[in-house]
Amino acid sequence: MKPAASVLLLTTSTGFGFGLLAWLGAYSALGLLPGHARILVVVGVATALLFASFGLGASMFHLERKERAWRAFSQWRSSWLSREGVAAVLTYPVAIAFAAVFWRDGQVIWTRLLGVAALVASLGTVYCTAMIYASLKPIRQWHNRHTAPDYLLYAVFSGAVLFATLHTMDLGAPGATASVAAAAAAGVALIAKRAYWRHIDTQTPLATLAAAIGLPKGVEARPLDAPHFTENFILRQMGFAVARRHAVKLRRMVLAIGFALPLACSILAGLALAPMATTTLAVACAGIGLLLERWLFFAEATHVSAVYYGRRI
Amino acid sequence: MTMLPERAPGAKKLGLVIDLDTCVGCHACAVNCKEWNTGGEAGILPDYDKYGPEPDGVWFNRIHSYETDGEGGSRTVNVPRSCLHCEDALCVTVCPTGASYKRVQDGIVLVDTDKCIGCQLCSWACPYGARELDEKAGVMRKCTLCIDRIYDENLPPAEREPACVATCPSRARHFGDLADPDSKVSKLVKERGGVDLLPGLGYRPTNKYLPPRRATIPTAPVKPPAPSGKGIGTALLGLLDKALSR
Repeated sequence: MKPAASVLLLTTSTGFGFGLLAWLGAYSALGLLPGHARILVVVGVATALLFASFGLGASMFHLERKERAWRAFSQWRSSWLSREGVAAVLTYPVAIAFAAVFWRDGQVIWTRLLGVAALVASLGTVYCTAMIYASLKPIRQWHNRHTAPDYLLYAVFSGAVLFATLHTMDLGAPGATASVAAAAAAGVALIAKRAYWRHIDTQTPLATLAAAIGLPKGVEARPLDAPHFTENFILRQMGFAVARRHAVKLRRMVLAIGFALPLACSILAGLALAPMATTTLAVACAGIGLLLERWLFFAEATHVSAVYYGRRI
Repeated sequence: MTMLPERAPGAKKLGLVIDLDTCVGCHACAVNCKEWNTGGEAGILPDYDKYGPEPDGVWFNRIHSYETDGEGGSRTVNVPRSCLHCEDALCVTVCPTGASYKRVQDGIVLVDTDKCIGCQLCSWACPYGARELDEKAGVMRKCTLCIDRIYDENLPPAEREPACVATCPSRARHFGDLADPDSKVSKLVKERGGVDLLPGLGYRPTNKYLPPRRATIPTAPVKPPAPSGKGIGTALLGLLDKALSR
């Protein structure tokens, strides 16, 4: 599948934003935020919404008819894309109410409850995003049991490193909980990504060319003449095959930059070794690594319709 | 609404039956489709770089030719590929705007291009590659089963069929109601063992394909021609032939 910049930015940036909001909500719900952490909550929620808004704004560039985008909120009964839109929009008032009440009252029962609501709304939105891909049956690398938990995991991971940075900015140190959370999330994300790659590498293609054209078993088919001589929309979108030669190298880069470096940085920050620099570096590495990871998620995905053109699926 | 409709009892299931045995791969169906649905710069099936080095455009129908090996030898199989108007059409349910829908009365899958935002998710959801983006209008395009022909009462009844069916010179394309077991198309599917494409994916396509029949007709082995004539002349010529063949 062709990796579109708008979609890569959408999923990565909303992952950071909603992941951060989820951590702020969880911290508040568990009463882990110090009472004087008003600035942390308000700046944190603002940062989260900024990242989410940037991602949602980028997704607009994927639409050919942007002026009709409002229509996408209507089909939430069947469409995960529509559900994503509705969930994202619902998350904003919850997040703003959470920040406003915390600013006024500090850590009280209402901010605990609003923290839970912010956690549910933000991770719910990420889940909807993941399900857009996980529900597409023609793409075996997406339609599997890894996609949805992985997207949630990467959002939780990117939110954790961002939260540790903001925590350091406000309170001078990421604190033991945030460091451990960020390091643990990086470790689990790394293991999950490796498990995902192992899974897609051992899958068999969804169909043979013979099955795609309705021939009985035991018949071999190979393309003789294509319907057209130049690339068309289907081949540009579904027949994308640029990345596969470099997949091994790119995968190593994802593991090193996206997960291992942030893991190391989070441990260093937790040990109070230049926490400001190490937490910021963790965010930068996670950002680059996850963009690359998302690029591979698209570039390595194959669409069954490409089999009609004799391409590998 | 992008929820798939409950099929009313007695509702039609209009679709095509395509005979892979008789299709000669001439592309006439695709050309007549392009003609009826209008190509050109601003047509419903637009063309890009029309006379340039990389001509491209939207087509509802694409004709592939394959070489197959199996029982009975090798042969060429031509496969026209278009929307199959699936019963479990994922292209409909993934649509966020309600632009993509399946008609209750006849099962035809259509795009309301006044609502489409061009997000292209429906094209990702279709395993048959039947939906293409109109890069000029910014909306998705797909086969309409010539809904503007099949219900047009100003046309003589015999012409109320899709453009691709009307034009097929080898009569490899058939149009009808696949919900009616007594229809011509249902009978064809039954007689010839019509199949679904990619049945494993579970889209339950309405259109059916009739598999190619036996590729070879048994014939008697060819014998060398018997020598013509008898007598001394033929014998001498035979000797001469043998001598010269050495």
